[in-house]
Amino acid sequence: MNLMSHLIAGFPDAETSIAIADALVKGGANILEIQLAFSDPSADGPAIQTASTIALEKGYSTKQGLAIVKQIHERHPETPIYIMTYGSLAFTPGVENFVKMCKDAGVSACIIPDLPFDGDEGLTEACKKHGLENIPVAAPSMTKERLETMASKGFKYIYAALRAGTTGSETTIDQATLDFIDTVGKGGAKVLGGFGIRNGEQSRVLSKHVYAVVAGSVFVNIVLSNADDAEGRKKAIAEIEAKAKEIAGN
Amino acid sequence: MINSNNGFFDKFGGKYVAEIIRRPLDDLEAAFNKYIHDPEFLEELRIIQRDYIGRETPLYYAPTATELLGGAQIYIKLEGLANTGAHKINNAIGQCLLAKKMGKTRIIAETGAGQHGLATAAACAKLGLECVVYMGEVDVRRQQPNVATMEMYGAKVVPVTSGSRTLKDAVNEAMRDWATNFKNTHYVLGSALGPAPFPDIVRTFQSIIGEEVKRQAAERNIDIAAIVACVGGGSNSIGVFTPFIEDKNVRLIGAEAGGIGPNVGENAARMTGNASREGIVQGYKSRFLIDEDGQSMPTRSISAGLDYMGIGPQLAALGESGRVEFTAILDKEALDAVKFFARNEGILFALESAHAGAAAMKIAKELPKDKGLVINMSGRGDKDIFITSPVFRPEKWKEFLKAELKRLENNEDIHDAEIMNK
Ligand SMILES: Cc1ncc(COP(=O)(O)O)c(C=O)c1O
Repeated sequence: MNLMSHLIAGFPDAETSIAIADALVKGGANILEIQLAFSDPSADGPAIQTASTIALEKGYSTKQGLAIVKQIHERHPETPIYIMTYGSLAFTPGVENFVKMCKDAGVSACIIPDLPFDGDEGLTEACKKHGLENIPVAAPSMTKERLETMASKGFKYIYAALRAGTTGSETTIDQATLDFIDTVGKGGAKVLGGFGIRNGEQSRVLSKHVYAVVAGSVFVNIVLSNADDAEGRKKAIAEIEAKAKEIAGN
Repeated sequence: MINSNNGFFDKFGGKYVAEIIRRPLDDLEAAFNKYIHDPEFLEELRIIQRDYIGRETPLYYAPTATELLGGAQIYIKLEGLANTGAHKINNAIGQCLLAKKMGKTRIIAETGAGQHGLATAAACAKLGLECVVYMGEVDVRRQQPNVATMEMYGAKVVPVTSGSRTLKDAVNEAMRDWATNFKNTHYVLGSALGPAPFPDIVRTFQSIIGEEVKRQAAERNIDIAAIVACVGGGSNSIGVFTPFIEDKNVRLIGAEAGGIGPNVGENAARMTGNASREGIVQGYKSRFLIDEDGQSMPTRSISAGLDYMGIGPQLAALGESGRVEFTAILDKEALDAVKFFARNEGILFALESAHAGAAAMKIAKELPKDKGLVINMSGRGDKDIFITSPVFRPEKWKEFLKAELKRLENNEDIHDAEIMNK
């Protein structure tokens, strides 16, 4: 199965976030979704907000975050890296400039949930120009009409957020969810499905219906639940690798 | 420019939100556009405004202030006399009534100082709606009187422990709640900002301030030269300005929080100085106190209600076009204004509103004596006793607090307390 695993650049620190990327790849992740920490991540749950605050306190904003991304890319050149962040970090330096910075760090796609596909400040265009993909995020609460419009826009990938809430709560894969996934992929986009994946059982069921399973806050929570010292970080990295293995079905 | 053009005011505004929050915004927009033209809704609102909020609020002529300042005639729009003590109730009642029409049973709100939370809690108590107020943990600690009052109205106050634990984090938390619970829940945003349609909705419900000023001025032949209002997010200012935007004879002046100085982290001035830049934060494009990466920066003001990084998109547009002038008022100038109007007019301004008072004190002399200068007193200052007392009478206040604590710890009635036997 394809597994897109999430981490935050600079959380809990630069070195550990690189080790986390290593562990995720070793555990079976074949896409890395790397989040650039933002001060106001309103589409994320409390775990990712807390982690983002920690990364920012240590100084890992755009430039420093992308420097980490670049190191990860050099260690795993075969693993595509998708940047996830918020509109503020793309708009403030200029959207095209931001996309260029991402490209220079080895990024292959951008996921920016608060730059909507029909008002993206030129993100899709800038991505195209520089050989990146813009990956919009679909939600089950969208009207059928809006969802179909998004699906028909020719995006190569669409990220499907599989519950009407934010990251961090349990996912159940019911018929409504499966119908939603179907509609997202209607226009030919490959569906990255996730939000709330906690275990191998869930990802196994979901993987039959999507191009890639997305797992995010589960890994952030492992770091947060371990001690903030060398010992704790070591333990967290081992747990992350094991969890990635479980979710990837390896 | 009064209504937005599809959510935009020139280049500012918009609906920059994740799709998870798009549906409730679109539903809200449709419902608002329907009910704001529904005579039954408008009549119900009018009765509540009259009997519950206490509208219209007076437009008070301030003779001593006029004489002392030596320029235009000073008039004060007493929004502080509205029920719950500030203009925030105009919006809270409007939105809660709208939510009720939409079939929502649960209301959430963010609050900084607690004024908007208080107004929403009261509106919910009046209209029979469940109320949850998100408030940064830091604000919960420094604004206990308002927390206590919200709880008195039956609201649940949830301390927000993420991020900087202040107003902007409360907004994030309310957005999260709404994304999950929008089927039965309406989010009452407290100022004329955030993603569309909030700037249009909040302005519409606050415009009653300006409409009354216009009518009161016409009835009394007051020739208004300028209107001054304080600007946090911008709801009281856009409310009082709106009916005058097209009338170029009236200067419109917004007073922002100058805090303790012009540097980053010392103020909350988005339209003057050089600490701010254009950005997209919390769902809208406007001017924000963000750094060169787009991260929010710390803000500072003695008035909690002005202590926020963003300004409503319509005011940002009106500022850039030059229609609204902006000025930054320092903490100490605001405190002086509180004292000035209290002593000379018997009117106690909220610290937020005192920024407008201070701006008026500066410009009154520039204006002719036969013209009117209207200050929007967005709120009254009773709520600020814990902030003003340590400044104006620190020793007596300290003594009072110590004695109160002792009395509480000893579980004594005030009649038996040691302080009574001195
Ligand atoms: C009395 C008072 N005035 C002004 C404000 C600032 O808000 P706005 O700019 O939306 O009017 C507040 C906010 O809490 C307030 O309580």
